[in-house]
Amino acid sequence: MDFYMARYIFKRIVSGILVILGVATIIFLLFIILPTDPASLTLGQRADISTLESINKELGLNEPKSIQFIKYINDLSPLSINGLNDENREKYHFIPILRFRNNALVLKWPYLRRSYQSKKKVSEMLMAALPNTALLAISAFFIASIIGIIFGCLTAIKKGTLLEGALMLLANVGVSVPSFFAGILISWCFGYLLSSYTGLSMFGSLYEIDPFRGKILAIQNLILPAIALGIRPLGIITQLTRSSMLEVLSQDYIRTAKAKGLSPWIIIKKHALSNALNPVLTAVSGWLASLLAGAFFIEYIFNWHGLGKMTVDALLSMDFPVVMGAVLFIAIIFVIINILADILYGVIDPRIRAGA
Amino acid sequence: MTKFLKGAKLQFSNSFSRRALALLMIILFCCTCARKEQKYANVFYWNLYTGVTSLDPAFARSLANIWSCQQLYNGLIQLDEHLKIKPCIAKNWTISEDGLTYTFTLRNDVYFHDHELFPNGKGRKVTASDFKYSFNRIIDPATASPGAWIFNNKVVVDSPFKALNDTTFCIRLQKPFAPFLSLLTTTYCSVVPKELISHYGKDFRAHPIGTGPFFMKYYYEGEKLILHKNQQYFEFDKDTNGKLTRLPFIAAVDISFIDSKQNEFFSFMQGKLDLVNGIDQSFKDNVLNKDGTLKAAFSDKLNFEKSPFLNTEYFGFLVDSLPKGMNAKQFKMVRQAMNYALDRTKMMRYIRNSIGIPGIYGFIPPDLLQAEPKIYYPYLPGKAAQLLRDAGFPNGKGLPIIKLSTTANYLDLSIFVQHAMEDAGIPVQIENIPSSSLSEYKSKGKSLFFRGSWVADYPDAENYLSIFYSKNRPPDGPNYFHYHNIQFDQKYDSLINKKDITTDPQSYSRMQDLMMEEAPVLILYYDETVRLLAKRVHGLHANPINSVDLKYVQLN
Repeated sequence: MDFYMARYIFKRIVSGILVILGVATIIFLLFIILPTDPASLTLGQRADISTLESINKELGLNEPKSIQFIKYINDLSPLSINGLNDENREKYHFIPILRFRNNALVLKWPYLRRSYQSKKKVSEMLMAALPNTALLAISAFFIASIIGIIFGCLTAIKKGTLLEGALMLLANVGVSVPSFFAGILISWCFGYLLSSYTGLSMFGSLYEIDPFRGKILAIQNLILPAIALGIRPLGIITQLTRSSMLEVLSQDYIRTAKAKGLSPWIIIKKHALSNALNPVLTAVSGWLASLLAGAFFIEYIFNWHGLGKMTVDALLSMDFPVVMGAVLFIAIIFVIINILADILYGVIDPRIRAGA
Repeated sequence: MTKFLKGAKLQFSNSFSRRALALLMIILFCCTCARKEQKYANVFYWNLYTGVTSLDPAFARSLANIWSCQQLYNGLIQLDEHLKIKPCIAKNWTISEDGLTYTFTLRNDVYFHDHELFPNGKGRKVTASDFKYSFNRIIDPATASPGAWIFNNKVVVDSPFKALNDTTFCIRLQKPFAPFLSLLTTTYCSVVPKELISHYGKDFRAHPIGTGPFFMKYYYEGEKLILHKNQQYFEFDKDTNGKLTRLPFIAAVDISFIDSKQNEFFSFMQGKLDLVNGIDQSFKDNVLNKDGTLKAAFSDKLNFEKSPFLNTEYFGFLVDSLPKGMNAKQFKMVRQAMNYALDRTKMMRYIRNSIGIPGIYGFIPPDLLQAEPKIYYPYLPGKAAQLLRDAGFPNGKGLPIIKLSTTANYLDLSIFVQHAMEDAGIPVQIENIPSSSLSEYKSKGKSLFFRGSWVADYPDAENYLSIFYSKNRPPDGPNYFHYHNIQFDQKYDSLINKKDITTDPQSYSRMQDLMMEEAPVLILYYDETVRLLAKRVHGLHANPINSVDLKYVQLN
């Protein structure tokens, strides 16, 4: 790695950290501006002053906002200054680097605190929700890509037929219908009205819990939310594949291939499709990250226990640490993907790293 | 050339389409292969749509938390379906002459659920010191329990709870407090084992060990809570022949956390749930007639139960903050006029499908008053007009706009009230805010006219009058109205400091007369619980504090 490349990567990482710091600050400020008092929310209709005080103390809300903010950033930072007592050791699981009196500069995982409402560790909640969201996004991505490409090819080949009209109508509906509406419609139609035929449920998670046998994998619960989430990209991929395929099919080399006596399947597979897919793949590969973050409504409708549902629930109950944790987490995913993409561009194009 | 291409296209499509269709068929086949959920005959299926935040009874604040904890834990005493106090872990109890010492004799045959932290993994016997530990834990600021108000300022500061021996437990109060026994029936006052809490700390919330009719088998937060029958449960049911059967009857409870009322209802209609609490505004018209009865189309599919619930729904006024251009006397007359201008019977019929009793009586729900309930504000538009005239606002002329802070789920009621007030000439503007903001507005005194509801924590009329006591003004308590009346305060003080537990209905009525005359609230209705039950469920008794006691449930 040359000097320019190292400097370029370092700059990308520093700017990524600044972005995350900015996100953390903005969310913190938002929660200060909002007229809510988390302590009285956890207390409900009975709130006496001594209980309020003890809850505020427990949540760390009895201190000035500036101190709260510094403590928050200290908790988030992997390098932080903490007191060396048993409570902190238990809380942060840190490795002390530099000791001074009772405090130390320590190395630790970012500490995202505990939920106000459930008192559960936010990091644990995120780790439990992330695989579900990732699975949903990846499934939606594959459903959209595979079916979209098949539909795109069919519409191109069967141009001017009823089949093309029907599939294009479907693609256009897929593109224009908002995902939350498609979600409700699909859930109601296939999970309720037709559930005796499809065997599918209106909503549910990846695992079902049987009262006597415990956790059972229920992969069928993935079908409807993945379709609902994938229907929009599916429409777009169908349209992209169709136009690209039509262009390829009119090329001379297709005619040549036909003249060579190749079977139509080989022609489509070897010559047409691989060329037609180039622009489609470029467009599609950028969507996976946005599918991860865009599953909020779908997860909520299908009661799918992912990041999106967790964030919406936390917002409704003003559960600040959970919202903060979830938003930061998504921000970190985006930042990392962007850094990786930038580094790749840098590797490919020397002008970029030199310019940096 | 064109002909050639056309031919080529046709051949492509036939071959390609076949393969593409085959792929689609495989995907569809996967859909139809989906395994159907198995439903057991001896498992009760239930949904808690608000979700459970903790299974630790010290945090049993929301209804869902209370309902779950009620199946897992027991306290000293409990309420029967008529809200009478009956023994639970305490066999009997005595109250000293001065009303300051409560002494309970405990049963000797109550055990905690099995857990590996107990010797040999077997549940340990419950003793008086467990209650001492559990109650001290509630008032410990380090616990930060929302139930601390039960004991705060009521029990003595220096060792209020004493275990005299294994089966004798005693509580000492600072001064007599008549409804104290009722307070002990709340879920907060359940017994928990010290060794489990020392081990799990805050995470006891997901590892509950109690003495209740069920123990936790599986808990996947936000997804499922599975409870199994506690084979050693200490309570028995006596049938008509005098035969004793150990409770509970059912083998397990399957609690899901579907967080949409619509989805919950659809699941119930698909036979996946046995009980639905409450009915959502959006489909109540499909299920219920305007008179509150079940529509004929549903009568053979489900059982419908409606029963009083100790919950008063109201719009409250901030009485010490005068609207622009009004003095205290005028404001009081306007509040009274607003109370007379609302046709609550019509509102209940059209907005609530007759679920709930029109709020024409006082703040205390009529079911809780032993005396005949008195009507304070019937619908009298003429009297409302008269009061406005007397206040100097004939037909509402010159009245400032009164802003009503409300939440989305009460919007239809708010709009009804707004129209009713408009008819009387009183301009009301609706401000729709999130419930978290509304509670902040109320506690900080930022809203002149706000939505509220009061659910009885314990079944005593004192519970309802306490929120008008001047010392309970926020942040010390829930007097969001900032209501202050010296006479009312004096009566309240003398009433609660009585040792006599049998409440005096007349004195409650007199206090209510004083308060209602000043109209610090516009009472909407007294709520009723609505339950949709599967046909196979028996023995689930409704009660006015809306507790769900599954130990008596039997399934056909």
